[in-house]
Amino acid sequence: MSKKKICMVGDFSVGKTSLTQKFVNNVFSEKYLTTIGVKIDTANVGHTKLIVWDVAGRDSLSSINASYLVGAAGVVLVADGSRPHTVDDLNDIWSTVTQRIGDVPAVVALNKADLDDWGVGDDKVTEFRSLGWDVFNTSAKNGQNVPELFERLVEKINA
Amino acid sequence: MSQIEELREIIIGDNAAELGDLKNRLENVERRTTDVAEVLSPAIDAEFRESQARLVSSLQKPVSLGLKKAIRAEPREYAEILYPVMAPSIRRAIAQALSSMMVTINRTIESATSVKGIRTRIQSLRTGIPYAELALRQSLLYRVEHIYLIDRETGMLIDEVAAADTQSLDSDAVSAMFSAIQSFVQDSFSKDSSARLTDLRVGDHNVWVAHGPRVMLACVILGDAPESLKAELYDTLDLIRTEYSAPIAEFDGDNKDFDGVPNLMAPLLQLQLKDSAISKQAKSGRAIVPLIILALVAGFFTYQWFDRSRKVSTVEYYLRQAPGIATTNVYWDNDQLIVEGLKDPDAKIPYGTLASYDLDENELRFNMIPFRSLEVDMELQRFRQEMDLPRGVYLSARNGRVFLYGEAPILWLSNNDARIRQLSADRRLDISNLSASFESVSDMLRDNFDRDDLSRIRMSSLVEDQLTVVQITGELEAGKLALLSALFAGSRWVSITARQRVE
Repeated sequence: MSKKKICMVGDFSVGKTSLTQKFVNNVFSEKYLTTIGVKIDTANVGHTKLIVWDVAGRDSLSSINASYLVGAAGVVLVADGSRPHTVDDLNDIWSTVTQRIGDVPAVVALNKADLDDWGVGDDKVTEFRSLGWDVFNTSAKNGQNVPELFERLVEKINA
Repeated sequence: MSQIEELREIIIGDNAAELGDLKNRLENVERRTTDVAEVLSPAIDAEFRESQARLVSSLQKPVSLGLKKAIRAEPREYAEILYPVMAPSIRRAIAQALSSMMVTINRTIESATSVKGIRTRIQSLRTGIPYAELALRQSLLYRVEHIYLIDRETGMLIDEVAAADTQSLDSDAVSAMFSAIQSFVQDSFSKDSSARLTDLRVGDHNVWVAHGPRVMLACVILGDAPESLKAELYDTLDLIRTEYSAPIAEFDGDNKDFDGVPNLMAPLLQLQLKDSAISKQAKSGRAIVPLIILALVAGFFTYQWFDRSRKVSTVEYYLRQAPGIATTNVYWDNDQLIVEGLKDPDAKIPYGTLASYDLDENELRFNMIPFRSLEVDMELQRFRQEMDLPRGVYLSARNGRVFLYGEAPILWLSNNDARIRQLSADRRLDISNLSASFESVSDMLRDNFDRDDLSRIRMSSLVEDQLTVVQITGELEAGKLALLSALFAGSRWVSITARQRVE
């Protein structure tokens, strides 16, 4: 079985950990996110074992710990669809990613799709797609598009 | 020659012979086989150089099938070929397994018999941690539980080996976490980018990490390992780096090219028991075993002493109760209980009672001097045997005296009178309530006198000299009176006061 490291990146509180929990085998507790800034889980997608690095979210005081990105075969860019600025921030985050590990396969999760106050316009989705990213409206609450998100990333990594 | 043959001659010309030769070679199977054989080996070599994978792929199935068929057809031959290769490994494995088993058995015995072992068992019951795990922790100096070969860049696990019975989380996640911690520590505390986290300690566990340029070897140790293990860790890492340099450089998450790595890492799974713990526990175990044996021996002798004393007391008690037996000494002589004292020949030893107290008849030996016991019970027994008591006469004992009482036939009284007199003279027998029965006296009179005479005779009871006697009164002729006196002459049980009848 082939193994691939992927990273979940995005702003603070966009639902990266909740999204991950919907899909992975829990190994460590969430306390590691606040202690060393990353939590690692694993998940099997077909014949590929994903080592999922759930990197602590970026906020006004801290940036993503880019050293955790090293060696990642792909990234999941996560934003909160009900908070447009977290969607806009994905461009900055992607910049950090590419500076550290280059242009790796990526998918975008516009999370919290179950909420009514959706704030992502079609133009933003079109922009992301033009960058070669697959965009999924996801919900960690009801599981919407969660497996599809990871499966697509694996497809892109193995392509 | 036909036109076609002419045309062929024109076209082929001198090459006709060569073409014929070629045709022969193609049609001749033997010749063709020889031709292929000539080029087969160089062709394989050339293909191997050209595309190793393609040749291996082509040959894999036929070679594999051929091998299987050949082994099935000639298993003995193949076994002989493989024996020199396999046997030493099998022997080593068996020896190692036996050695481990012996160590386990020894330690189990030691721990089971020692105070510490018992304490550990209690601790296991209290905490719910398996006894074996607690015992191992206490006796371990160190044990290498897990070795991870990790790709430094991605933190992905390349391969791992683990000691038996060690619990582990998802190894891929654990190795990634090692890598994350490495990055975290490096980013947080060290400005030197080449600095590496080499040691971690959490409780009883240590993690030693040997770093190479592309891979690291993380070693999870329970307890305190010697520094020499670090050197071994680096030696193993170097060996892996040397032998697997290409797969390491190309590693992208697939570890299929790292087949032999676990064999290289396995020697690092070392286990060292505490010398002091062994010796202390062994000493403690060794010390307690003689103590237990001593206690058992002491217990056995105490029980024997107690049992023998009990038997002596039992014999003394029941023989004291038995009439006609007086014991002076009761003691053990090897396996015989010797009873010394006096015994009336008529006395009976209560073997039945003694048997119920686990005292076998063969276990007892009596060294008794015979004597005549005057105990009441013995007297009673003896009188019953001697006198053959008739109906209506009874013997009983009261206040240390024997009473013979009732109405006895006059003939029985006459026959036993001497003995009764003797016994009563010794004051051993009270006969104050013994008398001759009227019926027996009357029967005797009826046998010797006619009806007229009998009508003149009266019988009554009279106490004379503390003896109840039958008094006969009346008037009889002189001859009959003489007969009457003769019938009861000498009997103190009948008193005759009859007078001669005057005509």
